[in-house]
Amino acid sequence: MQLIVNIVVLASIYALIACGYVLIYRVSRVLNLAHGELVMLGAYLLLATASLFSANPVLAIIAAFVLSATVGVVVYVVLMRKMTGEMVLAAILTTVALGILVRGALVLIWSSQQQYPAQALRVGNPTLAVASAHISAWSLALVLLNAGVYLGLFGFLRYGRWGVRMRAAGQNALLAAQRGINLHRVYALAWALSTFTGAAAGMLIALDSGVTMSMPVIALKAFPAALVGGLDSLAGALFGALIVASAEVLLIYYVDPLLSDVVPFVVLIAMLTVRPWGLFGTREELDRV
Amino acid sequence: MLKRMLLAGLGAGAMALPAAGQDAYVVGLTGALTGPPSSTYAPAVDVLRIYIDRVNTAGGLNGHKINLILEDDGAQPSKAAANAKKLISQDNAVLLLNASLSSTYAPTIEESKSSNVPLLFASSVCPKSVYPPAEPLQFCTTGFAANYDSKATLDFVQATATGPVKIGFSAMAIPLSRSEMDYAEDLSKKMGMTPVDKEVIPPPTADYTPFATKLKDADPNWVYSWAPWVTQVRTLEGLRKLGWQGDYIAWGHLEAETELKRLKDSAFYTVNSNAMFQEALPIQKQIEDAAKAANSKYSADTMAEGWIAGMVIEAALKSAGWPATPAKIQAAMENLNVDLKGLRGGPIVWAKDNHFRTHLYYRVYHWDGGKIARVQDWKVYEVK
Repeated sequence: MQLIVNIVVLASIYALIACGYVLIYRVSRVLNLAHGELVMLGAYLLLATASLFSANPVLAIIAAFVLSATVGVVVYVVLMRKMTGEMVLAAILTTVALGILVRGALVLIWSSQQQYPAQALRVGNPTLAVASAHISAWSLALVLLNAGVYLGLFGFLRYGRWGVRMRAAGQNALLAAQRGINLHRVYALAWALSTFTGAAAGMLIALDSGVTMSMPVIALKAFPAALVGGLDSLAGALFGALIVASAEVLLIYYVDPLLSDVVPFVVLIAMLTVRPWGLFGTREELDRV
Repeated sequence: MLKRMLLAGLGAGAMALPAAGQDAYVVGLTGALTGPPSSTYAPAVDVLRIYIDRVNTAGGLNGHKINLILEDDGAQPSKAAANAKKLISQDNAVLLLNASLSSTYAPTIEESKSSNVPLLFASSVCPKSVYPPAEPLQFCTTGFAANYDSKATLDFVQATATGPVKIGFSAMAIPLSRSEMDYAEDLSKKMGMTPVDKEVIPPPTADYTPFATKLKDADPNWVYSWAPWVTQVRTLEGLRKLGWQGDYIAWGHLEAETELKRLKDSAFYTVNSNAMFQEALPIQKQIEDAAKAANSKYSADTMAEGWIAGMVIEAALKSAGWPATPAKIQAAMENLNVDLKGLRGGPIVWAKDNHFRTHLYYRVYHWDGGKIARVQDWKVYEVK
């Protein structure tokens, strides 16, 4: 039972991070290689709001959520908007530069030491019993948030006016623009949602076990989950995360813990060999990567 | 005319640059100032910088200032190699420092050997090459040391345990941590304990619970970890999340004092070679004041390791005299005795064949109700 709980928690972490990669790629065909740093930035934003609203943890978390979505919009407006119409490679390299910039800025502002937003907010992390297994409160919150985010995104993309516009822009940007859809707003929204989901994952990981400068590496391990599922499929990100997390947790327990470091990439290579566009991805889309 | 004057000025400037460089003791450091494991090294490097600044402000050594050049290697061997090469060949460092993960040692040692510049491990774990009989160019001030730490830890476990000891181990997937846990596993068998599991955990890990699950299911009543702090403390927290109630013992890195206060876990012990700042020694007050004056972003209780390195470098350079050459500094370091004024249980004493220390002193702390308490005072181990 504990193994199932461990798989669900790890899969939720990867899925929440992976959906950020998918949202931006699906809409704008840009691979955001700064996503890991934006995940980490979310954790540090929570640290900042925690120092402002230490007496009110809920307010601090909501403020950090809002700030992270705002960061996404700012990144698009200031940086990525200028990449519209340029080669996709130029946009990807811009995200690499953004990642380096964010990492450097975070070290300068908060130092490289491990930080604990939960301590700053004076909130605990009690362990809850689930049948014969255990799960920490913040891990459970992450699982629930992940479920809420995916349900919300599925509904938004299917029924929401801006969700439909995002899908349209992703399918054919030129045609969508000719039909009067403001592409810049759609892209800005995608960046806001992507940064929000990634940052939310960063915040909940930080609330559970603290934040260190290794967080971007965790996000890098979520990237195979997005690719395994199909880079343009939200459902794929969810299933990809589940596959990668299952392989990781089971290998740690039954074979060798050291394999956990490489198993996401082994799964990725296996998938690329058999079905390069991923489980739920679109073949045509992958040809453009 | 103007052109000639400008050229002359530029020429004079160019000549002045190396002269200014030679007017100071050049000490070069490659360290993990950023990157995942930097929390163990960056505070030590910061306080080393503060210490050297204080020496310079007070007039320097033998009438000359110390030029401390810091290079970040992000704990990556390739960067450490480039840094060491640059520090020695371009900056003409007469003493090389390493404050980084053990994976950076090989390229740094290689540069030190090829140029005959002494290498001091300051806040990075002491390699066995500084133990007697020591490699001529390698020295170490760091408090933690392979094998001796595990011996001291397991001695404490044996002395404290009330019944048979079933012990689990947790290492980070880096060479020194892994080999130390292998050593501890063997030693525990010799001491009559039962090793039940050993987890080697990769550094970037989103959730430590899967590793802790395996460890817990092996049913240990003690768990020992000798690894960078993040692995030590997250394994503990993973175990506690799973409801494990056993005793956990780990190496007391720079973060130990702050973390014992955060965790408030009376069954969590840290084995330390540096006195914790709750001891309120005069020298600790001095460090606190220096950190405050320098507006350091690091907590003073993480700074003993870097301060000790500063004390030793000051003593070595002072003894080497002026002009300093790598050979003179090496000779000075081979005959050094530095009183640490209570920061550790005894002085750092180096001889020609011992670049580590003659005696090691260990204290054990844990959280005892409302404060950090000593559970074992300085215990001495002779270095052979």
